[in-house]
Amino acid sequence: MTQPISHLDLLEAESIHIFREAAAQFRKPVLLYSIGKDSTVLLHLARKAFWPAKLPFPVLHIDTGWKFRDMIAFRDKTARDFDLDLIVHTNEDGAQKGINPVDYAPSVYTDVMKTVPLKQALDKYAFDAAFGGARRDEEASRAKERVFSFRAEGHRWDPRRQRPEMWRLLNGRLGAGETVRVFPLSNWTERDVWRYILREKLDVVPLYFAAERPTILRNGQLLMRDDDRLPVKPGEEVVTRRVRFRTLGCYPLTAAVESDAADIESVVAETLGARTSERQGRLIDHDQAGAMEKKKQEGYF
Amino acid sequence: MSAQPNTLQKSKGKETKVPLKVVSDQTSAPSSQAPDLEKIAPELSGMLRVLTCGSVDDGKSTLIGRLLWDATDLYDDQRETLRRGKTVDGGNPDFSLLMDGLVAEREQGITIDIAWRYFDTQHRRFVVIDSPGHEQYTRNMASGASHADVAILLIDARHGIKKQTRRHVAILDLVGVKRVILVVNKMDLVDWSESAFRKIEADFETFSWRFGFWEAKAIPTAAVSGDNVARASENMPWYPGPTLLEHLESLPSRVTEPTGPFRFPVQTVLRDSRNDFRGLAGTVSGGSVRVGETIVDALSKRSAKVLRIATMDGDLEQAAQGQAVSIQLDTDIDVARGAVLSKADTRPVTARVVEARMVWLSETPYDPRGSYLLRTATDLTPVSSLKIRALLDLESLETHPADACGTNDIALGDIALGRPAAIDTFADAPETGSFMLVDAITGASVAGGVVTVANPEAAEADETTFVLTRAMLERGLNADLSDQPQSEAEFRRRANEVALILRAAGINVEIESAADYSI
Repeated sequence: MTQPISHLDLLEAESIHIFREAAAQFRKPVLLYSIGKDSTVLLHLARKAFWPAKLPFPVLHIDTGWKFRDMIAFRDKTARDFDLDLIVHTNEDGAQKGINPVDYAPSVYTDVMKTVPLKQALDKYAFDAAFGGARRDEEASRAKERVFSFRAEGHRWDPRRQRPEMWRLLNGRLGAGETVRVFPLSNWTERDVWRYILREKLDVVPLYFAAERPTILRNGQLLMRDDDRLPVKPGEEVVTRRVRFRTLGCYPLTAAVESDAADIESVVAETLGARTSERQGRLIDHDQAGAMEKKKQEGYF
Repeated sequence: MSAQPNTLQKSKGKETKVPLKVVSDQTSAPSSQAPDLEKIAPELSGMLRVLTCGSVDDGKSTLIGRLLWDATDLYDDQRETLRRGKTVDGGNPDFSLLMDGLVAEREQGITIDIAWRYFDTQHRRFVVIDSPGHEQYTRNMASGASHADVAILLIDARHGIKKQTRRHVAILDLVGVKRVILVVNKMDLVDWSESAFRKIEADFETFSWRFGFWEAKAIPTAAVSGDNVARASENMPWYPGPTLLEHLESLPSRVTEPTGPFRFPVQTVLRDSRNDFRGLAGTVSGGSVRVGETIVDALSKRSAKVLRIATMDGDLEQAAQGQAVSIQLDTDIDVARGAVLSKADTRPVTARVVEARMVWLSETPYDPRGSYLLRTATDLTPVSSLKIRALLDLESLETHPADACGTNDIALGDIALGRPAAIDTFADAPETGSFMLVDAITGASVAGGVVTVANPEAAEADETTFVLTRAMLERGLNADLSDQPQSEAEFRRRANEVALILRAAGINVEIESAADYSI
């Protein structure tokens, strides 16, 4: 009798299979790298899928200019360590107009500095497929997402025009003007991502670990003041707190949690016992009802 | 069945390891400096994918919501959202909110697409695939069911087995689901009546025996109050069986042991010039293979020995169903994407024509002059003709001759291929015996199906068939391609496109296959 293999082994094998299917079927894929834990796992699985060959596609980071400094350092080190073909793209037009997460509504900022530059970069390099780290467990509208998620011209996502997927078969034949987003982590959960990071001993951005950091309490959320571009409002004060992040993004839009979890084991222990799902820490999602679904239709990842 | 080795073993003088984590065997934990994974993050011993089908009226979303609420690791904010929301049925939270997704669907009050949910009990990952129940969504249910290990059929105790249940069972059978659970819900509305349940149970047995299910079990529940969902019902002491959760936990996990003949559909070829590595990358889709064994490529009929089974975590001695690996052969037999490796005595058919049962998924009906491609495990083959023979009536389960089909139809048809492809029958090897039919122009997946007969003989010789020969293609269109094996995929892609164009112009085309010109 064969002993059961773990659910992580099954998930890993499935993700590798998806990477290989996409790389074989699409003309010019790219891996969207956002530096966070999901991207870390995504990149690791991509390396496994093509080992010992080099990744057969470049890695793209959409830089808003407002990422935590630790994230950028980690990105550059990762690119060096794994010999990645890294492309960094920023919406220069938006940056010059001074669109920032402090003065603008999250929905405007996200559109101009994340959604628009992503489309710009995909068009500029003529990528026909983009790997992303989205998971179906993240949010209700993603629960119905396909592994190969088709985008019409203009990168628009139409829930009614997605292709049925059956068995393990992935149909990557593109119609005119179509591109595709590929989600190898579709069937992973937040807990799986952490379990896997621990099991595979992967390096992650230090911001996931608790440390003394300068923070501001705003609207019940703890924000880290990563540099002086985040103004301190009257009545607020910068307090050094022992905090860490469950999810990473632009620092003025990413809430910290108070924590003593300073190494990977305690982070995983804390996460597995966590009683709040991770998107609670992501401020853009609370903007409006069905927020994520709307952003997706507009082309946000 | 051979055991999966879990320890370091010597092979050809060098150390190789099998990175399969054997969860139930704690003694094999890694070295002492490693974190205590088993305490902090125990890996779950396997996974079960559960399809839920039935209509909203039967309380499907409520049933699954209830299961999540009672048995699992829901987050606090999810519980809070539910408590704050409207209440239904005597003050209980509206559990269905945990399952329904898209805004448009919430507004319509029906689920129009399949949704995936994940939850863990102490030992196991459950993946709940929620599919719509309405008749017009047969195609969604079929695609959802194709991913499932077990299906929950939900019915209302007041109404018993309806036409819809019969349709669902027929679809489950078609796509290969082997275990079904009939959940007889709303037992509270029939006064917890045993006779009502037993009658439905008997109807179900009579009806389902004709299918090849390995197991079909009926459970009486009341999802709103949670009776027999995760907690044994006090209202139905006459029912001695397991609760729904207990039953789900007792079923065998997904892919725990290799079954069927060895199949390895090649996805891509990986090279590393630094150490002369040429690996055939793929996922073992059936059976298993060991280093040193002889494998054969069905299309070219060439064989070679397995030299290495490589992964980034080290070489393996054996690769079994479900594992994603790279296989290096002792001789370069020029295998490319689309090939299916097997053992010599259990090969797939090098098929020219297949008989199939398929679910028509597209809103565009079948077009006898349309351009279609057949996507099998890793191959994409131009279809030279697709003929619909009959439609399956899901209620009577009888077939009726037909030559047309449209959305949600289950059709029986013959597919003639423009060149041979390595194909199995679905009963022999599901992963190499299933396919998607692709519209060559739009790329849409127009049908999904299973092969019932794979025939190596071409359809009756047609004098008007034009054969696109290798030499013809090499002379002009493919003159720029090198002899490198990686060019074979591009060679084939171009040949496919030419065949499709000619076919659209009304010319019957066949492509000379690799098998026809190799030794």
